[in-house]
Amino acid sequence: METAELKQQLKKKVIEFLNLTSLKPDDIKDEEPLFGEGLGLDSIDSLELIVLLKREYGITIQDPKEGRKILVDINTMVDYIEKHRTK
Amino acid sequence: MFYIHHTVCISPQHTFSTINIDDLVESAENKLNALEPAYSGVAPAMLRRMGKAVRIGVGAAMPLLANAPMPGGIILGTANGGMGESVKFLQQIVEYNEDMLTPGNFVQSTANATASQISLITGNKGYNTTHVHRGLAFENAMIDAAMMSKEHRETSYLLGGVDEISTYNYNIDYLEGLYKKEKISNKDLYNVNTVGTIAGEGAAMFLINSNAENALAKVQAVAAIHSADEEYITAQLQHFLHTHLPAGEEVDLLLSGENGDNRYIHFYEGCEQVAGDGLTVARFKHMCGEYPTAPAFALWLACVISGPSTLPSHMVKKASAKTEFKNVLIYNNYKGVQHGFILVRR
Amino acid sequence: MGVISAIGNNLAENHAALTAGKCGITTAGNFLSKYSGILPFGEVPVSTAALKEKLQAAEAGVTRTTLLALHAADEAIKHAGLTPQQLSSQQTALIGATTVGGMCLTDELYEDAHRTSGTSPYTSSYDCASVNMYLQQRFNITGIVNTINTACSSSANAIMYGARLIKNGLAKRAIVGGVDSLSKFTINGFNALHILSKQICTPFDENRQGLNLGEGAAFLVLEGEDDLAGKKVYAELTGYCNTNDAFHPSSLSDDGEGPYQAMMGALQCLPTGNNTIDFINAHGTGTENNDAVESRAMLRIFGSQVPPFASTKSNTGHTLGASGAIEAVYSILNLVHQEVYPGLHFTQPIAGTGLAPVEAYRKASLKNIMSNSFGFGGNCTSLIFSKS
Repeated sequence: METAELKQQLKKKVIEFLNLTSLKPDDIKDEEPLFGEGLGLDSIDSLELIVLLKREYGITIQDPKEGRKILVDINTMVDYIEKHRTK
Repeated sequence: MFYIHHTVCISPQHTFSTINIDDLVESAENKLNALEPAYSGVAPAMLRRMGKAVRIGVGAAMPLLANAPMPGGIILGTANGGMGESVKFLQQIVEYNEDMLTPGNFVQSTANATASQISLITGNKGYNTTHVHRGLAFENAMIDAAMMSKEHRETSYLLGGVDEISTYNYNIDYLEGLYKKEKISNKDLYNVNTVGTIAGEGAAMFLINSNAENALAKVQAVAAIHSADEEYITAQLQHFLHTHLPAGEEVDLLLSGENGDNRYIHFYEGCEQVAGDGLTVARFKHMCGEYPTAPAFALWLACVISGPSTLPSHMVKKASAKTEFKNVLIYNNYKGVQHGFILVRR
Repeated sequence: MGVISAIGNNLAENHAALTAGKCGITTAGNFLSKYSGILPFGEVPVSTAALKEKLQAAEAGVTRTTLLALHAADEAIKHAGLTPQQLSSQQTALIGATTVGGMCLTDELYEDAHRTSGTSPYTSSYDCASVNMYLQQRFNITGIVNTINTACSSSANAIMYGARLIKNGLAKRAIVGGVDSLSKFTINGFNALHILSKQICTPFDENRQGLNLGEGAAFLVLEGEDDLAGKKVYAELTGYCNTNDAFHPSSLSDDGEGPYQAMMGALQCLPTGNNTIDFINAHGTGTENNDAVESRAMLRIFGSQVPPFASTKSNTGHTLGASGAIEAVYSILNLVHQEVYPGLHFTQPIAGTGLAPVEAYRKASLKNIMSNSFGFGGNCTSLIFSKS
């Protein structure tokens, strides 16, 4: 899958997983921080995104702290998915 | 006990923002689902996580808290809490065989999720508790609120009752025989002689304190009783009224929790007999449906109905010559074993 | 008082275990879950069937949670010598607490939620109220009966509520407490939050990895000052406070404002001449968040004079809705026997706190003991028991 397509797919999945009903994929910029400002997600969301990575892409992240280094923005997530996906 | 100063209700009827209880909203498939507003006072970031009970609970609390000084605490009653979220989490447990599950549903499924979300959104660090004793959850919350406002006379408290219909508790309660097996409209709820009732949901919130000035109503007394004995219940009601009705006064309006279930009608008829002569009897379950904290809806009604002109005709079981409703008695029972009396003075 | 936990089936057994520094957290795994036998839990080593038989609770739909509660309530009532007349008096309240209720029957719940035909003996067992509804019938309680669920602070709040009922003249005596049993539902919930430890928990240790779930129940019989004649009094509840941290649904704020306010509020109940705390039964779950925040709150209040403290969750695991009541009973045992019990599995203080729990059993002169319970939803409760 092309990177651009993966980014769109990931944005759709993030919106669905986190029930961000007020957002469409185009509302999320690739480089917008997921936590803190930007999307303003919190620690429970980070645990949910770790599950998303497992269920949708077969990637297992054991330590939530490690997860935060990957879950910076859509770019870092897609980068990690492309390198580590097993699905 | 305490004075109610403001109240907001989200229910299956038009009880939020533009209030119109004269026009009865009809049930669908034996359920009365709450009419949910736009929740303009709640950030989408918080709303997205909430199950229905938390949403309607928070939605009813926010307008009360928006322009008021911070209450000293939040005291809620809910029997089922976030059961809808519980079953979503349960689905995950089964589907993924206990492996890697998302925690959002679990956190939102806890009974105290509504109270804690309200405190989170408003930054309220005061007393915070959730009573979950099924059909007397709201009555216990009232008793708690009464004690708090007596212990802290200068402080207001947020008191509320909320429960939701979720796929889970509807099915379980249906299996238990709580609901009608036959299709029925809420308009006909009291006209059939069968077992069961219809499901409902709602959230009613109240700002209360010890100050009589400008109050909407006073909660004079609350009793919470466990029994399946009609004679005991009617005797307790007589004692309750004798103790708490001011000398020489009578009950003007009985808000009865009669719910169309012919197994429990005898309790309601028994209480009608002893509540007094010449009073108006009105029913409310056809408006909100049956759920454990339905008495909270009745308390909201007691705050908005002042006399015969504001009492919708569809509620009236027995009319009377009363021109105003000063003393309102709410009697409700849940499954014929938990009984609550609430005496309200306007 | 009455108690059942991973370290004993009654008051005497729990006392002996605490004194000996016994740990009841194991990977014994006698319940249904993928994690049974793998993760450590503070299981009560008595089967549900054995409890049913011992307590003669043959009714269909009685859950393990109810059985544990019945076991402890029964002991407390006998210990207090309450007569049937006193039990069934309208002046006797029963205030319980649980977060699990009948959800210990996780598989049955799933089945019934989807069942389209047939019947089930459990349809009125799943909610939190089912426990106290059973106890109300069993003991013929006609006074105020209530169930509280505020996550991990539930039974501490139940104790506080019962005390206030007596203080406000709504009851003369209150049987108060709480229970929780191990359930697939809560195990998976906590696991999804990544706060379960794969090892035995190490409260207040720098390298703590999380909590171990436990189960159990405890009940206490509270009576007012005016009704004490001729009765043995074990302790007095002299301070209590409940607040909300209002920071996050499942973790405490860095500065621990909720725990701080709860502890300060409880302290403010004490008379100025007698307001030193001699020991704290800390909430101390062993999670990174709780123990750091609780430490900071204790330092904020007590400065360089933090009283001796320990977490008995290192003996029993985190018993959730039961923890407030179980730890109240343990605090009262401290007072009655004038001794402190060691906090287990501790090696090294949390960096920057310099705080270490009591590490060995010793006799001590104790007047006031504080017991803390901090739950999900920011619900923080602090109780103070004093020697009477």
